[in-house]
Amino acid sequence: MTDPLALDPVLPPRERSALPFNDEALEHDERYRHFEDHVTRGGKVEATDWMPDEYRTQVLRFVEMHANSELMGVLPEREWLMRAPTLRRKLALTAKVQDEVGHAQLLYRVAEDLGKPREAMFDDLLAGKTKFHNVFHYPTKSWADIGIIAWLVDAAAIVAQQALRDSSYAPYARTMKKICWEESVHIMHGRDVVVTMVTGTPGQRAAIQEALDRWWGPLMQMHGPRSDRSKDRDIHWRIKAKTSEELRQEFLGIYVPRVWELGLTLPDPNLGLDPATGEWRYTEPDWDELRTVVTNHGPKSEERLQFRRVNREATRWVREAILAAPRAAA
Amino acid sequence: MSDAAPADGRTLEPWEVFRQEKDGDPMRHGGSVMAPDATLALHYAREMFGRRQESVHLWVVRRTDIHDLADVDLLQPPLDRSFKKPGGYVMRDKLAAAREVSGQSQPKANKGAR
Amino acid sequence: MTAFEPIAMDFAGAGDGRERALALLLLSMADDEFVIGFSDSEWTGIGPILEEDVAISSIAQDELGHAQALYTLLADVVADGRDADAIAYDRPPEGYIHARLLDHPRGDWATTIVRRYLYDTADAARLEALADSTHRPLAELVAKIRREERYHLMHVETWLERLARAPGEPRDRLLAALRLVGQDAGTVLSPLPGEPALVRHGIVAEPFGAIEGRWRSGVARTFSRLDLPPLPATRNPGRARTDHSDAFRALHAELTMVRRSEVAATW
Repeated sequence: MTDPLALDPVLPPRERSALPFNDEALEHDERYRHFEDHVTRGGKVEATDWMPDEYRTQVLRFVEMHANSELMGVLPEREWLMRAPTLRRKLALTAKVQDEVGHAQLLYRVAEDLGKPREAMFDDLLAGKTKFHNVFHYPTKSWADIGIIAWLVDAAAIVAQQALRDSSYAPYARTMKKICWEESVHIMHGRDVVVTMVTGTPGQRAAIQEALDRWWGPLMQMHGPRSDRSKDRDIHWRIKAKTSEELRQEFLGIYVPRVWELGLTLPDPNLGLDPATGEWRYTEPDWDELRTVVTNHGPKSEERLQFRRVNREATRWVREAILAAPRAAA
Repeated sequence: MSDAAPADGRTLEPWEVFRQEKDGDPMRHGGSVMAPDATLALHYAREMFGRRQESVHLWVVRRTDIHDLADVDLLQPPLDRSFKKPGGYVMRDKLAAAREVSGQSQPKANKGAR
Repeated sequence: MTAFEPIAMDFAGAGDGRERALALLLLSMADDEFVIGFSDSEWTGIGPILEEDVAISSIAQDELGHAQALYTLLADVVADGRDADAIAYDRPPEGYIHARLLDHPRGDWATTIVRRYLYDTADAARLEALADSTHRPLAELVAKIRREERYHLMHVETWLERLARAPGEPRDRLLAALRLVGQDAGTVLSPLPGEPALVRHGIVAEPFGAIEGRWRSGVARTFSRLDLPPLPATRNPGRARTDHSDAFRALHAELTMVRRSEVAATW
């Protein structure tokens, strides 16, 4: 990739009148058909295009959950910001957590331009009305967790994010390109921490194995249960292109060998590549656990939401007086 | 996009960020930041699009100051305009005929061409 | 002065105190950057708005980068086999000689901005006096640091102004923060032991007293413009860099926690 940060040099136009669904003279159903046609043939949608309500709410929900996950994803690693054992690791971890805040900014901006103010999104997140990804509901127990999370959680995320770079919703697709480029550094940092500890003292090696044993379950659940491609509305609207299972297979294919080559084990006796089908076999993840966790009943869900509520209140005076939210909506 | 009230220096509004990757490149749109005024918009643009030394130049523009044109009648008018474009001048057959007339069936190789 | 023997000083060529004075100068600067960098990095993830969160984190990271470079210079001067990390991390709390201003925790946003403003302006005055240092590695590093600090000053000054000019809670909090840390602001420029050697050898251009005077004039001009009360004199200047707070001790315990868990490990 010669120009990893190149974003399309196009401003969202006020009216892209070449596209029939933007023609206000047409009936709703006709506009809907044109729009669906456009999107299913690979056409792109900008913030100021006309969209059927279903598309707008679907994209908003997708982007909002992603934004929420970046914002909440800050917290597990943030606990260890003060504890990094060298200056370089301290700088790397601070920069990584900062990047996650930056990703939250990019994604909330995309969602804001769809019509929902960020304060409303924070209200919904902190009231438990909208969700964030499962992995960020779990505790971190040691520095080894920092290595495992930065390597494998970010790897699982990047597999999903790479597949979103061609999303029909163009502002989101452009953001994914920037995010993928930034995430690649995080994975390198994580893998470096893991490899350093694996080749370190017996205590360090044991800590990595223990962290890996704890995180494997949530990692396997992260991409979600298998879904029927033909019934998936996000795929229908080309918001995303790959199914949960496709993403999970991709993740396993790249990263399980990299885990094994370090002499680490994974806590699933059924995990392995089936040479006949080229598919990875594994013990069915605990989908009940996933459901429980993402509805904010995970081990750290409430504590982290409460932490955010408290901090939001502590800085409310700054926003109200100096960085005021816009008054009346247009 | 609404026409917002004039900036009071305290209300957040979107600012579009343009960036130049390296010397000589054009300014390209990178994204947007929420800021109350130009000073913080520039600082935030630097953070979001320059903290990794990935830009050599940044512009910020209030979104409400941008004027746009996407009217297809103005930008993609229907009648032929090929006389304005390189693709409108196809000479292969005429050149072949001219060479035949002058007794050369193949174009002379140019020294050091290409 | 046993309270000021934070690192082993047994190296050759101590001469008339030049090496020791230089080592103390570098350590004081490195510890200042280290502590404020750590403290302000706590805002990462919880800043007042997303964009500002990213900004304050960059500033904190810059300070840590400066600390790392200064500890490295110090390691070269002391040359006892320790690297920057060993000097940065492997000392008890009483072995740190950062200014008392930085013993205050980051507090609310107003406290952070006030502390930043007072530190960044004092540091700028200190760096200016080191720009032509006869210790060449220091002069070269100072040139780079000063270029990075320009952004810090731009950013913190715009915030000081915003808080000072916003009536009600922001200005009240700003005034409360000044009352809290104002008496400790001058500790950044309180004289170090061995200062005569620093001046005599041209490591620093002038005594810290003169630097502090110029800094105070600059702050007074800004405070007058923003209708803020004048900065008080430094409380207890003789103990400007010792007797650290409980807040610092807690920070120290946390930042050494992982490193202490496996001594002599590579991380």
